[in-house]
Amino acid sequence: MKRVLACIVIAGCGKLQGFSGDVPPLATIEVTATGSPPVNADLRVALVWGRQWLVEPLCLEGSGGLPLDPRDDPNAVAAVIAAGCRDPFGFVPARDAADAPLTIGMPASLELITLPGADVMVGDLTARVAYGSLVVYDDQNHDGTLNIAVPNRPPDFGGEGGGGGGGMGSGSDDTMTKDVVVGASFVTMLDRDTRVTYREGAFIQSGFYPRAGCDAPPPGFSIDAASGFTRQAAIDATLMGTVPQETDLSQCVQRAPATGPVTVALTTPSRTLQELACRERNTDSTVRYREPDAQAPDLTDRTTACVHHPSFGMPSDVIEFVVAGRTQDSCVGLTHYILKGCREGPDCGTPDWDHSLAPPSWWPC
Amino acid sequence: MRLYATLAGVVLSASAAHADPGRLLGDDTFAVHDGGPYILDAGLFAAQPAALPSGISTGLGAGVTRQCGCGLSYGLRASWSTESESSQTWVVTQWDMRLRGLVQLRHTAGRGILALRLGGGPTVVHEHRVRTQSERSGMTIESSSTALLPAADLEALVGLHVAGPWIAMIAVGPTVEVLDGNVRGGWIAQLTVGWQP
Repeated sequence: MKRVLACIVIAGCGKLQGFSGDVPPLATIEVTATGSPPVNADLRVALVWGRQWLVEPLCLEGSGGLPLDPRDDPNAVAAVIAAGCRDPFGFVPARDAADAPLTIGMPASLELITLPGADVMVGDLTARVAYGSLVVYDDQNHDGTLNIAVPNRPPDFGGEGGGGGGGMGSGSDDTMTKDVVVGASFVTMLDRDTRVTYREGAFIQSGFYPRAGCDAPPPGFSIDAASGFTRQAAIDATLMGTVPQETDLSQCVQRAPATGPVTVALTTPSRTLQELACRERNTDSTVRYREPDAQAPDLTDRTTACVHHPSFGMPSDVIEFVVAGRTQDSCVGLTHYILKGCREGPDCGTPDWDHSLAPPSWWPC
Repeated sequence: MRLYATLAGVVLSASAAHADPGRLLGDDTFAVHDGGPYILDAGLFAAQPAALPSGISTGLGAGVTRQCGCGLSYGLRASWSTESESSQTWVVTQWDMRLRGLVQLRHTAGRGILALRLGGGPTVVHEHRVRTQSERSGMTIESSSTALLPAADLEALVGLHVAGPWIAMIAVGPTVEVLDGNVRGGWIAQLTVGWQP
């Protein structure tokens, strides 16, 4: 009030901004990269918020999560899992939140103008958190953003291309991305990761990219690191109904973004890395099933297998025809056909379709 | 029947009140009589914000006017009003304090007053900006500043002597302020109750 009175006396002191002027970012995250980028690469770094997503049960078969069904061909099942399943512990992207050009050895600044949306935060209003990975990529189409694709499903019911997905998601989703991921701060929970965290309210440890054993991230934006855990620790913890402990608690870090840059080491592009540019269409991690059409789907360059419906209880007699994506696709994914059932699965009460007595001529199982 | 009985009761009580020498309303309650040269008034104030591009700034205003007896009046007015508006990045709250010296051309017609009021003086604008979402993130980003803008108003005023020294007044008109070297137009409106002792 004294300042206001002084202003009245002095007459005209401050400059009114209104809605104009620079917009200060809510947080600035600095990133440096080490290593050798691809030749002529248009390097950029993106902050990608992660999605809560569970891998489908079939992808856990034979990896310690679920035993292989002895009635199935183990080689065929292993081949379709290898061709169509993403890393069950990998970081699943939801949205590119910020993007900046990157030069090796020079820090790049990612300015966050908005907070992460409720769709990428897990928890309720009193305790929720979002995790992000800093993804370094070669922006091959030079559009200045990380293009995130979705798995390519076989054409459904005579539809063109895999984009329609037969109800698997929006038909406008791109199934190909030209951008090549060459490094990330958070690739999988099985390796050491450095993640961008945004926390609101209290912190409750959950199965959403857990860091059990490390201190809780501070409220607001922070940079957090953890050592990762082993696959066996994850299986054991799941069986006990808890979350796996980090292997090396001395690697736990919780710090403010302003205390220094995050270093990302560039590596050779790989399918595991490329999954950071692949999101999942359904947000609830449920598997959608398809009704087999009279015409055979185009299975060119796709790996297929006949498998018994994965079950955590009594073995199921339902046989699925499972189709993986094509080798040249940007993202991996599986499509499931069943002779009798609904979109939600074979055990849906009154089935929406039933071809069990007269399967299509192409049905291979 | 019950309704008629009630109406009859009301009429009878009104008659009794008329006959009561201690009544609240007398024959001269609404009579117009010449008051003194001063009119004090205060009431509600609304205006286009002095420095915000949108919204209506609302608050209170008050003033004193001295009549010269020649159709000309002069006086002082002050008002305070506030308004908050938001964009995708800022929530901006500004309060405006308008201080005016005024001259007024006045015409009295029976109970009515018609006047044209020209005012000039400073408008003090205090601004407080909060970056949208910054409070949620735990690091509030905010700024404040105050500025003094030269301004002038032209208001058409309609007043009505209601009872005794009390006058109901409405004044509306355009206003101009100089903001960052640019002349900026706007409007102001006041609904006040005046007292002319």
